[in-house]
Amino acid sequence: MTSRERFLKIARFQLPNAIYLSPYTQGVWHKTLERWVAEGAPQEILTDNVARYRYFELDRIGMVRVEASLIALGPKGGAPFIPPVRPRFESRVLEEDERSRVRINEAGVTIREFKDDPERMPLWLDYPVKNRKDWDEYKKRLDPHHPERWLVKDWDSYADRLSKRDYPLGLDVGSFFGLLREVVGAEKLLLLFYDDPQFVEDMMVHMEYFSIQIVERVLKDIQVDFAFFWEDMAWKGGSMISPEMFREFMMPHYKRVTSLLRSQGVDIIMVDSDGDINELIPLWIESGVNGMWPLEVQAGVDAVEIRKKFGKECILWGNIDKKALAQGKEAIKEEIDKKVPFLISEGGYFPGPDHFIPEDVSLENFQFYLEYLRSLDQS
Amino acid sequence: MDYLEKIASHVEEGRNSDIGNCVDLALREGIPVRDVVEKGIVAGIERLGEKWKEGKAYLPEVLIAVRAAQAGFKFLEPALAKSTPVTKAKVIIGTIEGDMHSIGKDLVKLVLQASGFTVIDLGVDVTPGRFQQVVADEKPDILGISALLTTTMTSIPRVVEALTESGLRPGVKVILGGAPLDEEFARKAGADAYAKDCFQAAELATTFVQLSR
Repeated sequence: MTSRERFLKIARFQLPNAIYLSPYTQGVWHKTLERWVAEGAPQEILTDNVARYRYFELDRIGMVRVEASLIALGPKGGAPFIPPVRPRFESRVLEEDERSRVRINEAGVTIREFKDDPERMPLWLDYPVKNRKDWDEYKKRLDPHHPERWLVKDWDSYADRLSKRDYPLGLDVGSFFGLLREVVGAEKLLLLFYDDPQFVEDMMVHMEYFSIQIVERVLKDIQVDFAFFWEDMAWKGGSMISPEMFREFMMPHYKRVTSLLRSQGVDIIMVDSDGDINELIPLWIESGVNGMWPLEVQAGVDAVEIRKKFGKECILWGNIDKKALAQGKEAIKEEIDKKVPFLISEGGYFPGPDHFIPEDVSLENFQFYLEYLRSLDQS
Repeated sequence: MDYLEKIASHVEEGRNSDIGNCVDLALREGIPVRDVVEKGIVAGIERLGEKWKEGKAYLPEVLIAVRAAQAGFKFLEPALAKSTPVTKAKVIIGTIEGDMHSIGKDLVKLVLQASGFTVIDLGVDVTPGRFQQVVADEKPDILGISALLTTTMTSIPRVVEALTESGLRPGVKVILGGAPLDEEFARKAGADAYAKDCFQAAELATTFVQLSR
């Protein structure tokens, strides 16, 4: 069985008790990698994702080389993240001191970033879209057909190579809430739902157009195995917006994109959202999305409970408490034992931490976590 | 006409364009400024807090209510300047050193202000030393500390230690908030309480102030 077949069988609940360690969902902060290098990991894991995946012997997952979701500009492919604008804005430093610099970044967002850690999340200071006029200008950079968005020069031979692959391939298909929040700002976007709902709808319409165009163009030539939305639209206390607002503003757009994907054979459709997503899960399922990551433990999300409640309606990724990874082998074992054997018993689960791994996790602990997960594979 | 009820209702429903006229009429009727604040604006925020607890309000509803409360306070400014202070207490708030997250902290600040507190916001990436210095300078009733990362929350106990070592701890209640935190962490860190959200933070702050007076 190839990696691709194995991945698909797990995702479709056809291969019980199997472990597939997706590199896509074993995210690590830069400071953590620095620690691991100091503890004996090879230097190249700091800057080369493929070297990292190989060193930790993670299973392979590919992503279609098109910019359709948050873009990672960090040296090892992590933060800072920007919306997928093309052409990018010219980055401009506005002020600078010993510790930090304020600059307009490549997506037109004004941020304060810190010099001691190139992948530390910045402080967001100002956003490029303040009104409809701004949006009309900004959305020109969210043109799905802009040539710089398509990162492969010889598309036909790329598609041909991918048709012969033996590993799973995913496609970022965009976002409705998350990307708008990145360019409008959270507070402003949340207020717009009341102040100018038509403006919110107009922005959602464009994001749907963006997603549909990306999906149509890719699927014309390449059969992808899964699709990935990015939203980050929940916090520890639950969804940022009400279910009613989700239904009114987001669901119709989601449905059109997921219907298109399914009509083309893509039946694994994931969403990435931090926070307590419990209330959002049935809404996403109704919208045609059937997988969730990272299932944050600290926000009260429990993959075992979700599986019991939603069964095979929901493919789950993540949910291993990153705090357990920091505590040591017993805590790691306990955390994995209480979730993973149950979750893999029918398939439909890809183990991973419940968010990027923080720097308090040692290399030894991370390696133990991987080894212990692999030991549970009985497929 | 029950202007206080209307003001509370405007705040609860986030009708910021209607509140100014209502505040103006309430003052003309001779309703004391303190009542307009406590039985009007703050009562509206408290009602929204109840809806929030019941899962009937989300962040957009909080933001429009806070904005209406701010509009109400703006109309009250001239009257407030002439009256005895009606602020409940002073709160200092900030996100701990190394942590850039501000949305949750900002929301707590807005709800505290709308609930009648004076809030000094130290922003993000605040060192234990700076928290201690500002507490020494400003003598707040409450100190609110936020963290969103498991790697930054570990600095919070250093703030409490710094307050204790400098003799400031007895004079200030410390409330913690943020995704990776919980009541157990707050207890071990030496704080007085953990607030799971902005409304609980306002409730706890109000309770602490009432108990101290």
